[in-house]
Amino acid sequence: MVRLQPDPFLNELTSMFERTTERGSVWVTLKHSSDKSKAQRNKMKTTGENIEFKCLIRATDGKKNISTMVGAKDHQRFQASYAILLKARLTALKKRERKDKRKAADSDKKLEKSKKKSAAQKAST
Amino acid sequence: MVYITSWDDFVERSVQLFRADPEKTRYVMKYRHSEGKLVLKVTDDNECIKFRTDQAQDAKKMEKLNNIFFTLMARGPDADISEVGGKEQMEAQAPKKGRGRKQ
Repeated sequence: MVRLQPDPFLNELTSMFERTTERGSVWVTLKHSSDKSKAQRNKMKTTGENIEFKCLIRATDGKKNISTMVGAKDHQRFQASYAILLKARLTALKKRERKDKRKAADSDKKLEKSKKKSAAQKAST
Repeated sequence: MVYITSWDDFVERSVQLFRADPEKTRYVMKYRHSEGKLVLKVTDDNECIKFRTDQAQDAKKMEKLNNIFFTLMARGPDADISEVGGKEQMEAQAPKKGRGRKQ
């Protein structure tokens, strides 16, 4: 498990997605973690120290493991970049049947709705 | 483990599971590009709840759940997530993307 800074982690995650387009999967795990062993935590508990928790993010494609930590200060920036990354990579999912509706995009919403209905009916017949 | 079919159910139960045991619970996303499949799993090793989909629209919903879990995990299980459900994010991103959309 390689611990990376958030930005290199996202870069590496991107290449994992690229490597698995033909075959394979990518797993991304989020976990609430103090990044300390149980023994350390117990020690801190008994001495009354405050245990700091962060969000641990791990990713694997089955071959390579990477991980990073984000805390309360930087998780929003990370989650925004992560969301953009996912949007760019999760492209094999099915879209709702809208492919032919681009022409109608400029017209009135009501019109669009009725067109969709009629198109759906045509498609089904 | 049976897959949960209702997204809202899945979100509610996964947050419950996390809050019950924050230190053990993990949230896993699995994406298989070749088959266009997405599986979400939340487990504390006792209970396991899963959701699977092949729909792009569910990926958008997942974005909100991601934000909820990032907030819960980075800020602690008592963090307020009522605002996280996408609203905050959308408002933060709107000025960059949609120029003059609101006014």
